[in-house]
Amino acid sequence: MAEFTLDCLGEACPIPLMKTEKKLEGLAVGDILIVSIDHSCAMKNIPEWARKQGHNVEIDEVDDGEWEVVIEKTK
Amino acid sequence: MCAVKAFFDKLGKNETYVKIFKTPFTYLTGAILLSIFQVVSLGATGDPWGVSGTFANWGAWLYRLVGGNVDRWYYFSSAGAQAVLDRGFLNDPGTMRNLGIIFGALAAVLLASQFKIKKIKSKKQVVAAVVGGFLMGYGARLAYGCNIGALYSAIASLSLSGWAFAVFLFIGAFFGSKLLRKFFM
Repeated sequence: MAEFTLDCLGEACPIPLMKTEKKLEGLAVGDILIVSIDHSCAMKNIPEWARKQGHNVEIDEVDDGEWEVVIEKTK
Repeated sequence: MCAVKAFFDKLGKNETYVKIFKTPFTYLTGAILLSIFQVVSLGATGDPWGVSGTFANWGAWLYRLVGGNVDRWYYFSSAGAQAVLDRGFLNDPGTMRNLGIIFGALAAVLLASQFKIKKIKSKKQVVAAVVGGFLMGYGARLAYGCNIGALYSAIASLSLSGWAFAVFLFIGAFFGSKLLRKFFM
């Protein structure tokens, strides 16, 4: 149940999604990954992808135009 | 001041406001709105919606501003292209549409309070943006349109050329994503 972060600030789509896919692959079930993004379309495509995979996802708006996507790996 | 701040804090939490200005539209809503507005645009201007052709005209106007002349350039040599250039920047429907996109995007991001000036993370991003922008702009002129004029508007006008453009767009996107993986992952 470890917590990991992934800094994707300043990265445009689809790079945040590609990096999230890669990073999540190496994590264990139950681990939490917090992805920092500031590209609004990543706020749509990362949660969409992660939910389709069956993971638990929450989005936090941390500042103007800045979000944290919190993903709990479930399988 | 406090009353103003309280008003906006309240407005920002208003359900309808959040639904319209903050939450992204679904792809379906976006598609329907795009379809409606491209019909309006076609009716109002007489030309199908295009984006990148106007940028070439902006370049020509800028060049004229510093004393250049594009009258003999093959791309601008037709009577139609000359007429558009002679009418000027402010009398061009394409200019209005593109300014509308730019200022509309700014208004949308401000209404959602999501405006942010993003940091440049690496020199690679600058190189990719410049090279990518050049290839997109140059390619769009060679193809007589970008993914709006040559794809979207062509298909909407029942032209086969739009579908041919789509095939090559996918081929380009395939190799583009390979490059992305190679240089940015």
